[in-house]
Amino acid sequence: MDQQQYQQIEDQITPPTPYFKNVIKAFLVGGLICTIGHAITYFYIIFFDFTETTVGNPTAATMVFIAMILTGLGLYRKLGQFAGAGSAVPVTGFSNAVVSAAIEHKTEGLVLGVGGNIFKLAGSVIVFGVASAFFVALIKLILVTMGVVEW
Amino acid sequence: MKKMALALFCIPFFLFGCSGEQLVEVKNTANAEQNQNVEEVIKNSNDVYAGNAIFIDDQLLVAVQAKPWLDYKKSKIEKNLKKQIEEKYPNLEVFVSADYKLYWETQKLLEEEDEKKVSDELEKLKKLAKEET
Repeated sequence: MDQQQYQQIEDQITPPTPYFKNVIKAFLVGGLICTIGHAITYFYIIFFDFTETTVGNPTAATMVFIAMILTGLGLYRKLGQFAGAGSAVPVTGFSNAVVSAAIEHKTEGLVLGVGGNIFKLAGSVIVFGVASAFFVALIKLILVTMGVVEW
Repeated sequence: MKKMALALFCIPFFLFGCSGEQLVEVKNTANAEQNQNVEEVIKNSNDVYAGNAIFIDDQLLVAVQAKPWLDYKKSKIEKNLKKQIEEKYPNLEVFVSADYKLYWETQKLLEEEDEKKVSDELEKLKKLAKEET
């Protein structure tokens, strides 16, 4: 059996990926997470002194906290299995990436285990965010100095 | 059949946004004639679906809610409205905001009787609106 034949047989046996179903699941769960986030936003606006401009920080913090608890209890993994990208794209997925790495390497010690591995997945995201924010701010500063846009 | 029922169940939720009525409320303790103008300005604006206006001393606070699809150009709407309202009331200090917090709080202030309290609350709201972090 050469490589081509093997490939053919493999293609025949592999069940088709349910792309459409996956997309729908991701859409629904991702939307649900964002709806919860929005509810928290309104909670902070109505009961505390936050405006629409300032409410983003406490909302993100709360969502991260909730996802952290769910990850610790092992529930976020089930959600991730069901929804895929729908649970990974919102900020809760970021929280899950940090906490699950910390839990996974707990046995290797606090410094070399948890400390060395906690940002394994999320570190690149943080660095990318900081670097791109710097460049966006730089571009905006140049545009403002030239008088094209306002702050 | 089940799916059909679900779809039919969902339709009203999609249609909630379609009622075209604008809710504009004005609170004015000193001069009732002034109300008309600001109400007209808010009602004439096509980008706004609700608004509250409060006159107190020589200040006018207008809190509006932009239509959902126009949320991204809120500051532009604020600027436009402020300009229009300032034209009608040249001797008042006008403050316009499209923030939900201000809309929510002014909704409560509309029923408040104590003028001192309203005035204090207004100052607080203005300070809050300037906050950026």
